[in-house]
Amino acid sequence: MRPGWQAILRKELRSEFRQKSGLITTLLFSVFSVVTISLATFDLTVSPQLAAGLLSVAMLFAAIVALPRVVLIEEEQGTGDLLRLTARAEDVFWGKALYNLVFMTLTSMVLSFLFLGFTKTALAIPSLFVVCMLGSSAAYAGSITLCGALVAQASNRSALAGVLAVPLLLPLSFLAVSGLRVALDLKGGFNINNGMIAGFGLLCYGAASLALGPYLFAAVWKR
Amino acid sequence: MKYLLALAVAGITVWTFMVPDAVGFQMPELARIFFWHFPCPILASILLMVGAWFSWKYLKTNDMRWDIRAIATMELGYVFCLLTMVTGIMFSQVQWGTWWQKDPRQTSFLMVLLVYAAYFGLRGALTDDHRRATNSGVYALAALMPVLFLIFVFPRLPQVQSFHPSDSIMKGQIKGGYAYIVMALLALFTIITVWLYRMRVRAGVLELKLEDMNHGLENHSGDSAGTTVVRPVPVSHEG
Repeated sequence: MRPGWQAILRKELRSEFRQKSGLITTLLFSVFSVVTISLATFDLTVSPQLAAGLLSVAMLFAAIVALPRVVLIEEEQGTGDLLRLTARAEDVFWGKALYNLVFMTLTSMVLSFLFLGFTKTALAIPSLFVVCMLGSSAAYAGSITLCGALVAQASNRSALAGVLAVPLLLPLSFLAVSGLRVALDLKGGFNINNGMIAGFGLLCYGAASLALGPYLFAAVWKR
Repeated sequence: MKYLLALAVAGITVWTFMVPDAVGFQMPELARIFFWHFPCPILASILLMVGAWFSWKYLKTNDMRWDIRAIATMELGYVFCLLTMVTGIMFSQVQWGTWWQKDPRQTSFLMVLLVYAAYFGLRGALTDDHRRATNSGVYALAALMPVLFLIFVFPRLPQVQSFHPSDSIMKGQIKGGYAYIVMALLALFTIITVWLYRMRVRAGVLELKLEDMNHGLENHSGDSAGTTVVRPVPVSHEG
């Protein structure tokens, strides 16, 4: 019997908990980026608009550092062919994308706590903040898993994964900034409806990335 | 054909100087750059979407001719993206007094340019023809969602305040001689695009045939060599 997406997800979680390299790298990246932001703005009051932009950029780069690894590692360790023989491409995508979703949700939680603490930014609408974080994590998981598969057999693959993923995720960053600046401050004169539209847009973008992903991933993975 | 097209370009260029200066511009005589700017994003958007459609056809059929069509369309789309940026930057300097003024529409088109720069980067990083065609095809399809968002949704969001008019045609702001010139240039650019596209595809198909022929020759010479193993250096069995 072929393993389903649950088996792939379990495999990814087990290997991550055994090695913990991805977790440690991403955690360190989150701490470093927040400390760097805190150092760069030590004599400034970070406005909610600026805070939204900085947090979005930190999340984008944390995702690019952490997420393609889950696909690239199969080619580096030579286990990709075995996976191709034993599992359907759609299951591989779902297993890896869901693992990336779990990983990214954890990363965004850690990053948010650190960021809000270090920059002393308060939350105005926590529910909108959570929606923005979840929508971004879903879109990052879907898009970057696909980008990882696209560059898996290319030369200089790690750098190329970032080059491919950043332009695809830039529109998402705009929506994240629009939503987060409302979630961080209501006194700045930002329209709540615009924030809600951006939050809903992020969720839709995430859902569309995950829905289209398996079809596009299958075309690359089967070769 | 090329002489006819050159003549048409020259004719329309002269025509652009025959209409009266535009009203409401900082430098009305220089606002004519708009004529050349206007058709570029329209053609770029259409070409990039057609390129994604050809990529999808390749993924369905595995026929390399669809990949040649896709790359021909993407290359032309990219040229029009660059022309959009160049003419837009010139327009920005003429009208608003600065080459780059962080207008959301200008920035969103720059993002489109980056999306497709990554497409060509991906093609360059893969050596196998079919893998290159497949992966770049998948990327072209995946890029369609953010590109559509950047071109059609982003500039119309309520929180986006742009200097760019987004409904000049719908509101009938372009009329008279201006409308005729804009339409004539759009038609001319379309004809030039089709002409260049056909040439690029023909060159791509010929290249493909040449590669097939080379493979055939290599295989043929491989057969005629028989099973003899030619060793350039003596093989040592010691140790």
